[in-house]
Amino acid sequence: MALLEVENISIGYNTRKGYLKAVEGVSFELEEGQSLGLVGESGCGKTTIGMALMGLLPPNGSVRDGRILFEGNDTLKMSMDEIRRIRWRKMAMIFQAAMNALNPVQRVGNQIAEAILVHNPDLEKEAALSQVEELFDLVGIPRERLTDFPHQYSGGMKQRAVIAMALACHPKVIIADEPTTALDVIVQDQILEEVRDLQKEFNIGIIFISHDISIVADMCHDIGVMYAGQLVEFGPWQAVFESPAHPYTKALLSSFPTLTGKKSDLVPIPGETPNLIRPPAGCRFCERCPEAKASCEKTPPEWVDMGSGHKALCSGD
Amino acid sequence: MRAREKYPLLNSFLEGWSIFRQNLLGRIGLVLLIMFALMAICSYIPPWINPMYNPMTGVDPLITSCTPPSWAHWLGTDFMGRDILSQLLAGARVAFMVGISAAVMSIVLGVAIGMTAGYMGRFVDTLLMRLADMIMVMPTLLVVLILSAVFGQLNIWTIVLIIALFRWPGVSRIIRGQTLSLKQRPFIEAAKVAGASHFRIIFQHIMPNVLPLAFLFMTFRVTSAIITEAALAFLGFGDPGTVSWGMMLQWVWKTGHMFKAPYWLLPPGICISLITLSFYMLGRAMDEVLDPRLRKEDQTD
Amino acid sequence: MTEPLEKAGVMDTGNKPILQIRNVSKVYRSKGNLFRGSGKEVVALNRISLDIFKGEIFGLVGESGSGKTTAGRLIVSLEENTAGHIFLGNHEVTRLKGKTLKDFRRKVQMIFQDPYQSLNPQRSVYDTISEPLKIHRIGDASARKDAVKEALTSVGLSPPDDFLFRYPHRLSGGQRQRVAIARAMVLNPEFVIADEPTSMLDASISAQIFNILLAMRKNLDVTQMFITHSLAAARYLCDRIAVIYRGNLMELGPAENVIRHPKHPYTQALIDAVPKFGHSKEAQRYGTLLGKEHEVRKDMGCVFYPRCAVARDDRCSRKMPGLGSIEDGHLVACYLHGSEEIRLKPFSQALAEGR
Repeated sequence: MALLEVENISIGYNTRKGYLKAVEGVSFELEEGQSLGLVGESGCGKTTIGMALMGLLPPNGSVRDGRILFEGNDTLKMSMDEIRRIRWRKMAMIFQAAMNALNPVQRVGNQIAEAILVHNPDLEKEAALSQVEELFDLVGIPRERLTDFPHQYSGGMKQRAVIAMALACHPKVIIADEPTTALDVIVQDQILEEVRDLQKEFNIGIIFISHDISIVADMCHDIGVMYAGQLVEFGPWQAVFESPAHPYTKALLSSFPTLTGKKSDLVPIPGETPNLIRPPAGCRFCERCPEAKASCEKTPPEWVDMGSGHKALCSGD
Repeated sequence: MRAREKYPLLNSFLEGWSIFRQNLLGRIGLVLLIMFALMAICSYIPPWINPMYNPMTGVDPLITSCTPPSWAHWLGTDFMGRDILSQLLAGARVAFMVGISAAVMSIVLGVAIGMTAGYMGRFVDTLLMRLADMIMVMPTLLVVLILSAVFGQLNIWTIVLIIALFRWPGVSRIIRGQTLSLKQRPFIEAAKVAGASHFRIIFQHIMPNVLPLAFLFMTFRVTSAIITEAALAFLGFGDPGTVSWGMMLQWVWKTGHMFKAPYWLLPPGICISLITLSFYMLGRAMDEVLDPRLRKEDQTD
Repeated sequence: MTEPLEKAGVMDTGNKPILQIRNVSKVYRSKGNLFRGSGKEVVALNRISLDIFKGEIFGLVGESGSGKTTAGRLIVSLEENTAGHIFLGNHEVTRLKGKTLKDFRRKVQMIFQDPYQSLNPQRSVYDTISEPLKIHRIGDASARKDAVKEALTSVGLSPPDDFLFRYPHRLSGGQRQRVAIARAMVLNPEFVIADEPTSMLDASISAQIFNILLAMRKNLDVTQMFITHSLAAARYLCDRIAVIYRGNLMELGPAENVIRHPKHPYTQALIDAVPKFGHSKEAQRYGTLLGKEHEVRKDMGCVFYPRCAVARDDRCSRKMPGLGSIEDGHLVACYLHGSEEIRLKPFSQALAEGR
């Protein structure tokens, strides 16, 4: 039994213009100590899934279908209390623009200690603070900076502080939503390396959500490619990268400029993402797909298994 | 279609109008305003029918005191026997005059000064804002009282001018703030890089982005101008030659008929409230017209 | 007065460059107050010199705080440089005012970073793109309309009539950026600066924008400067790249050379840090970055010295090296590769001494 199993979830938002089907029929599994990358462009639903896993969907959002099994228990059927017991202690999140998640008027050390105390009410404040000191050692922040305010930290340090906060209760799963987007490339590299080391040391499962394929490839064992709310390809990172099956994956890969290797033409994807309030009946990528067939427009595609865990949602294969 | 393309102003006017029409608040506000406007226009009719209906001087030979509504006088008469309805209609005329003139004047001043201060910055900014501060702390009513004590009863236009002169600082502060934040925005820099002169930037880029706020403010200014004038009239410092709703309220009160003649007391009070409400609604609808982002039909999440 | 090209540290191919930057510095001073006396100074650019040749796409690559955006803004005259000279063709264009500034604006344009903020939300696409034409009084109404339509088609917004009267809030990010490009191009400028034009867009949309910029060069021979933090994007788009760090140029040369054979330790550190699509672990690293920073006296020595793992020369901690040529067209500012010291003091020091 995997640590986290997502079975066929569909999530939607009630908006002024109608019901937005943000996520449709997504399934994947995360084993202990493994990392899974969810890759896609804006609007594909990856952040929505992250929020749903933590039970943090906004009021107008709801999981319409499917199950989220954490350690065998369906989180969607849990009460608020039970979810709170899981949240942060067993499953933590690093939010997008995490640097803004720090309270500017509170000292950083106290904020993290507070997170610890909320989930461990019997602990003394001093004990919590000494735990924070240990966390700082782990993530590479000098202990003296415990009493500083967020604005005194550099971008990289703030990110490390937020990672420390996520690690505070020694969770089994961390969901990292674009944790390095706002950072310069050198700092990003350092932080990603530290996250990899921490993962190995504490055997944490990570779900890495990003629009940047190059990072995800470095960080994750498995990759799921999302488009317009659906998972369109899934598999071990090497399989997905070196032999992509879905036309969107291929197109996405060829729209990233590379530093090494032969310099090839960037082929952009024409058109725009589909309207998720009235999504197309057939394949959602059909309109922009260079390999589309006549049947793609009306018939929804099926999963095609390519062996060793690699599969793609496409009628074309 | 071609006319619309040839004259972009016409096009934007028609476009604005269709958006305005769809807004519920705007429709209600507009209807109310039209009603008041009609009242103002009709205010010329009663005296023309019969001099006894003149709001100031008309006296019904048969009546010399306060009477309730009757066929001859639909809202009754005041303590001197003057027709209340014609007074009400005349009051509408005054309300529009005062409200709109004072509001327009204070907005024009406030926007011009606020934009200048915000755009020029430094010395000019400090100078103008300190001036605004000084004026803002002066109590309008008190100044008017003092002035009328010194100069005797004031003319209605003088009152309008004074209201305008005292009200621009509030507008200019807000406009200045908007200008300051707009100044930094990339689209202003893009205009500079394209070669736009300061003049062009202020009038074509900053002002349109500042106008929605100004219009919104104007509706508040109209209401506050009307209320200020009513207050002044009520306290006895209005222009005795003009009949305004505030003046009517003063007469009711002064002659002790407040609880005895509801047909005299209520109409002006209700009118003041309604006209303020209608301008407010208008402002909200205008907001949607002037700022394309607020248009409901186009909103995407 | 233009220094001899060699000393200024730029290459001389015999071609006359379209844009020359000589010893340009920019210092930001925050205002002093009652408690602090004179305010703090930040040197955004320290005596930068560059040549840009007609028809090339020149990349300026740096991280945040490197000064790359400031350089772009100085070239388009959005800000004034504190010292130094900029030449467009044969004319000096530093500190222009009035009519000469307006004429300059016809020739040099800019594409801004944030497509959500660089278009006036109150103006339609037609208004925005035709504005430069109106400002410079080019053509009558119908000629302008044609020019706008042509600009829209050239950036891929077809059919143009669909887009003419739309407002920005009804356009996607990629479409807005295309409108911004159309606006920059409608005057047929000689030189366009693109300041991180894709950092707020998705990858597939960014690819569209890159291809538009390439097409612009191919079809219209527009010289471009591409400011970016992404070496990979610079490699794709640019003929030559300059790497900038803390206001100083570190390396400059043909794009492939700089990326395949980087010489400056900072460039090498940047290349090490770029994620390599799954191969980062096996990829060889130059290893030029220190884990912990060196202690160093302020304003002394090479700007990269505090983090440089390969600094060996005495001079590294004492004086900033200038750009020196290592091979044809490839320059590096590093003593390890034969650079000489800049004979002038760092700009901030010169300022402090009142020069």
